[in-house]
Amino acid sequence: METRVRMAVNGQAVDRVVDVRRSLSDFLREDLGLTGTHVGCEHGVCGACTVLVGGESARSCLLLAVQLEGAAVTTIEGLTPADGLSSLQEAFRECHGLQCGFCTPGMIVVAHELLARTAAPTPEEIREALAANLCMCTGYVSIVRAVARAANR
Amino acid sequence: MTGHEPGGWVGRPLPLKEGARLVAGRGRFLDDLAPGRLLHVAMLRSPHAHARILALDTSTAAALPGVAAVLTGADAAAASRPIRPLIPTAVPLDDYCLAVDRVRFVGEPVAAVAAVDRATAEDAVELIEVTWEPLPAALDAEAATRGEAPLLYPGLGSNVVWHDTLTYGDVDAAFAAADGVLEERFEIQRYASTPLETFGCIAEHDPGTDGYAFVTNDQRPGLTLAILAESLGVPQARLRLQCPDIGGGFGNKRRPAYLLVCALLARRAGRPVKFLEDRRENLTALMHAAGGVMHVALAYRADGTLLGLAVRDVTDEGKNLVSPAQHNLIKLGNIANGYRIPAIRYEAWSVLTNKCPSGANRGIGKPFMCFAMERAMTLLARRLGLDPAELRLRNYVSPEAMPYTTPTGSRYDSGDYPATLRAALARFGYDERRREQAVARAAGRLLGIGIATSVEPAGTNLASYEIITGRRAASGSAEAAMVRVEPDGQVRVALGDPPSGQGYETVVAQIVADELGLTPEEVSVTRGFDSSTTPWLYLSGNYSNKFAVTDTGAIVGAARRVRDKLLRLGAFRLEIAAGDLELRDGAVRVRGAADRGVTFRELARTAYADVLGLPPGEEPGLEARHAHQNPLARPIDAERRVPSQLVFANAAHCCLVEVDAATGGVRILKYVVVHDCGRELNPLIVEGMVHGSTAHGIGAALLEEFRYDAAGQLLTTTFMDYLKPTALDVPDIEVGTLEHPSPFTPLGAKGVGEGGAIPGPSAVANAVDDALAHLGVVVRALPITPDAVWRWLAGR
Repeated sequence: METRVRMAVNGQAVDRVVDVRRSLSDFLREDLGLTGTHVGCEHGVCGACTVLVGGESARSCLLLAVQLEGAAVTTIEGLTPADGLSSLQEAFRECHGLQCGFCTPGMIVVAHELLARTAAPTPEEIREALAANLCMCTGYVSIVRAVARAANR
Repeated sequence: MTGHEPGGWVGRPLPLKEGARLVAGRGRFLDDLAPGRLLHVAMLRSPHAHARILALDTSTAAALPGVAAVLTGADAAAASRPIRPLIPTAVPLDDYCLAVDRVRFVGEPVAAVAAVDRATAEDAVELIEVTWEPLPAALDAEAATRGEAPLLYPGLGSNVVWHDTLTYGDVDAAFAAADGVLEERFEIQRYASTPLETFGCIAEHDPGTDGYAFVTNDQRPGLTLAILAESLGVPQARLRLQCPDIGGGFGNKRRPAYLLVCALLARRAGRPVKFLEDRRENLTALMHAAGGVMHVALAYRADGTLLGLAVRDVTDEGKNLVSPAQHNLIKLGNIANGYRIPAIRYEAWSVLTNKCPSGANRGIGKPFMCFAMERAMTLLARRLGLDPAELRLRNYVSPEAMPYTTPTGSRYDSGDYPATLRAALARFGYDERRREQAVARAAGRLLGIGIATSVEPAGTNLASYEIITGRRAASGSAEAAMVRVEPDGQVRVALGDPPSGQGYETVVAQIVADELGLTPEEVSVTRGFDSSTTPWLYLSGNYSNKFAVTDTGAIVGAARRVRDKLLRLGAFRLEIAAGDLELRDGAVRVRGAADRGVTFRELARTAYADVLGLPPGEEPGLEARHAHQNPLARPIDAERRVPSQLVFANAAHCCLVEVDAATGGVRILKYVVVHDCGRELNPLIVEGMVHGSTAHGIGAALLEEFRYDAAGQLLTTTFMDYLKPTALDVPDIEVGTLEHPSPFTPLGAKGVGEGGAIPGPSAVANAVDDALAHLGVVVRALPITPDAVWRWLAGR
């Protein structure tokens, strides 16, 4: 069964007909070609697929595209400046807050949400926020450093 | 080998070049790729641990609209050959890419469907009808050592793949002369490092050439290409395998069976197909680190000097027909850890069970070997009334004894193990932590301090398999690389080792920049792997910590060949002896006369386009390939000694934990690592490896376990019940470094990737044990879950 859905993705109006069982993550990746959003577990634990819906983090693997009618969705592509990188992204790179890079877009979305709410988070607040997402490579130490560095800018 | 002329880039903590695309979500991972006309694959998997397939009907599934092809085990057996094992069983067993008439673990693939999208393929899988005859499952590896298990392969006559006792030195005399013997039994669980990106592949068949093209995140393409060619019955020249960005590997990202399934489906459908594991498939059927039971007997003198070691090691392989007993061999290579133990006996059991196949996983075997030894050493210190650090210091291989060959044939090339531990104790504030522990204890809090130290080898010497098979099929450890000055003068490097998060685009550029007088920004490292353009060997791949011991040699060797050619071309052009020239800033320049030179761009134009301008006899083109094998690899000797791995780094971990007696929860309050991986090529990457590997060790210690029920059902099939450490579980790991360069690697580097995954579980276990010892608890098994702690405290 298919239905029409209209939403804003990274500020652009999107008007599509989708299978009602299509997840938001598949919709973003396959229908819109926004492959920066990664899928790591498809059961809402790992956080790799995190996007912002109305400014709040959400697991795109647990949402159906049709639920987003009228919503504003922001992905890693929308958080990346047209030229270069955001200061948060720069901090991830400088602090070695990534290795394989698969969790990174989701981590940056979560960190972006944290910094939008809390200008100067403590290390504990950073860890609390990042604990929503799994990273298998870094042991989180350098990700925490990266978020702290970005907050200090 | 060590005549490296520093250009100053190697050794610098440069942020990842590839980081710029990865932080923007611009990596190119397998699932980001979609060739035209692509079909998607779903697999039917066994719901039983052990069962016969009495009937399999795919007709309804095949008729579902959108389904393009269906493949059963019988189809696979007709269209392909069995997967060739790395370590063959005594009686050859036919192991096809899909189960043929019997399944042997929950999650084993039985049939596969290719359809227009994954959802349709999954719908079709549900329409496949199977009649099963469940069989008793073999789940207890120790039962098989007593001949009491249901047989997985009746033709094999036993579930035991390898049983042997290897003796080095006079073990009986050592035990007879000992003042005491410490005997313990330890267990380790099945766990896995679970890369965040699951395994997948895209396969395409070209009927015009009868060739196959694969794109896959397989981390060991050299071996996989050999398996694919044999199983498909196609010359390797008609296969192409590419790796894109790989989202983590840790050893377990290798499933040749899935590539074969996809190849056969693509051939049937006449269209490219893609398969990507979902997380449940991944946890159920990726290679688990083998579980097992180890009996340790440690003979000692009253002053704590170790005299002998006897180990009986039973490895629960699951249905591992690819590399059974590999865990045993790796443990044998690491059995002495950092200690002088003159006499060693190792009784190996490698046992098949009705569980997920075991296989390489960060540290393979070494975490358990280290756990057994480091628990034993800690318990021995307690028995002797010695500080656990002191007992270790009394037994280390001394720096003066380097290079030191262990009784089993491992060569510890360099390092100062006592200095590593002392540095860790100092950084940890060991005496202060002991006082803190005493104060807390008086206040009723359960604090514990754990010390664990380890050696960490790099590179696998495949000759070690001969101990089991009696014949040599492959040997040594090697890698290949290419360095090319492109026609426009820009430099590009390709390597047979596809990275999965190790930052090769940066560190390889640093190495080549030093050799060619460039900056890393000026050196492009080709992403991933492509068998049609990347130089590679059967041994090529991203495994076994081998970058430091083989890849660096290949890169340096290729770069020096290009450098020599640039100098020859420059000398001809400038009419000056090559010895008076140097490479600097993208040009061949006259030493001491910086304004006189000729740029790479000009020389490249000559080499590729204006070839009449080449020196007489000089070949056109400006690229070189080089393969490097590590010199420490040796064949098995008459005493059955063999270095199963090469070049040893070392580390000391200290941690402070608090145990909550009410909940059984364990919290890590402080964690210090001091490690020595020789020369650090990029300290930022190295530190990240230490953090990440230590987090894996912490996960294995406290959280992670693939738990099977009595019928062989896997109970932990999501990240809600197979628990990974989060940012709240991993502490702010403090890292200190020593650098004793290896004399046996081109740049002095040693392995660092497995790192904390080896001693991490031991350090945490020793700390928990230290917190609870006065309550009568001895930690003998992992993981240390709240449930386990609560049971231990309750005396159950």
